[in-house]
Amino acid sequence: MIRPDIASQMVDLCAALLLLTCFAIVAQRRLSACVDLFALQSAFLAVTAALVAFLTGIHHIYIAALLTVIIKVIIIPRILKKVITRLNVTRELVLNINIPPSLLICGALVILAFYITQPIISLGFLLTKDSLAISLAIVLIGFFTMIARKKAVTQVVGFLVMENGLFLGATAAAYGMPLIVELGVFFDVLVAGLIIGIFTHRLQDTFDSVDTSKLTELKE
Amino acid sequence: MIESALIILSQAVAALLVSPFIVGLIRKVKARLQCRQGASVVQPYYDLAKLFRKDVVVSTNTSWIFTATPYILFASTLTAILLVPIFLSKVPINFAGDVIAVVYLLALGTFFLILAGLDAGSAFGGMGSSREAIVASLTEPAMILSIFAVGLTAGSTNLSTIVHKTALLQDIVTDPPPHLMAFVALFIVTLAETGRVPVDNPATHLELTMIHEAMVLEYSGRYLALVEWASALKLLLFLTLLSNIFAPWGIATEVEPAWMALGLAVWLVKVSGLAVVIGVIESMFAKLRLFRVTDLLGVAFILSLLAVVFFYILRV
Repeated sequence: MIRPDIASQMVDLCAALLLLTCFAIVAQRRLSACVDLFALQSAFLAVTAALVAFLTGIHHIYIAALLTVIIKVIIIPRILKKVITRLNVTRELVLNINIPPSLLICGALVILAFYITQPIISLGFLLTKDSLAISLAIVLIGFFTMIARKKAVTQVVGFLVMENGLFLGATAAAYGMPLIVELGVFFDVLVAGLIIGIFTHRLQDTFDSVDTSKLTELKE
Repeated sequence: MIESALIILSQAVAALLVSPFIVGLIRKVKARLQCRQGASVVQPYYDLAKLFRKDVVVSTNTSWIFTATPYILFASTLTAILLVPIFLSKVPINFAGDVIAVVYLLALGTFFLILAGLDAGSAFGGMGSSREAIVASLTEPAMILSIFAVGLTAGSTNLSTIVHKTALLQDIVTDPPPHLMAFVALFIVTLAETGRVPVDNPATHLELTMIHEAMVLEYSGRYLALVEWASALKLLLFLTLLSNIFAPWGIATEVEPAWMALGLAVWLVKVSGLAVVIGVIESMFAKLRLFRVTDLLGVAFILSLLAVVFFYILRV
């Protein structure tokens, strides 16, 4: 059996890779690259979940990891890619918050997440406890991406990043939720992805743009 | 005493001999990925030998800075690489300077290269110099912070101490997330500082994009050879930092010929591996627009800053 401190560091390393892809998503302007990075992040998430399953011997996490690969690495990125090819917008030109300040804000969010979770982590005894801070940081960055970007597609990516953070948080805090809850969440995310894809199409048809700030104006 | 001198000498010789090979290897990898045969990996040695035999043409409008810069650049880069552990974890002249000295020896070379670019008064030189000044000022904090992040875990800014403690895993704190962030930050810094693809393209002399090539456009003959050799040494220095700070295992921790030979072999494998990775990255990505370079270097800065901050948060 692997020593617990080394096992915990392996999980931390995987979680840190997820956080790195978050920063890459924030710094990326091209929409299709954002989707690719989201797929990569989900792949890291699946690896983290599989690693936790292997280290703890809890088998239902394997199923969650497999579902992550199928839904978040394959299906949802494909849907989003289709949306992007139909929209003929390839990059985010005007941002609510420009990239260098966004990066600074995300750095501050990560520090905030670590401060908030530090008292909880010191009480924990699971080997995944340290990744709780990272999962909160990922949720906050995903939330921030939804605020800082104007295009509907990047907002969807932000939403999905948030979901990845929540999944990691559940794995970190309690070795995953019960299987039935996880299945429900996956179905939810899949449907949300589909609906937002259709919604983005409608947005494009009505406004000739996927800029969500146009939704605040009334139209005849 | 003689032993230390021999080690310093052998480290200098190893760095000088290996650096053109790394440049050749990256070119070879790029050529193979483009389905070309490509020049041999020893081509840079021939180039240097050719340049050393050629005459020097110096513009009559230039001052002493132009002729002194190649020597200053070469000497400062070589001194910097002597302070970095290559195959022995405790380099004999580690008393002479720590990581701050390494960073600012490199900055000294960059500073004189920027001046030399301006000296001849050509439009391209000035353009290259101003761009290099932007890139250098943005990479410096990220580079310092990412090495500090590792230095904090070893409790020292001396590169020899950092590498020695990490190699033996003795009284250091290992924490994967900060290390990973510092590594990525230093890797981005490496690409920017050595003029690699997302920031600068070493393969072209396209006036709209060149940075390093624009500055050295006026150089010829042995001056150009020294400048090129110095930039190859700088690339090797960064690759050595990346491999030996973050994964020093295999390096010799005591003065023993057999261990040092093994350390040399392991070091060669590690830097060659990193060179292949750089070649692949250069083939995969397009060069960024100059004003987008700040985004990339912003990522490096934030990651290195987080790596340092994590150390304090996780110790609270």
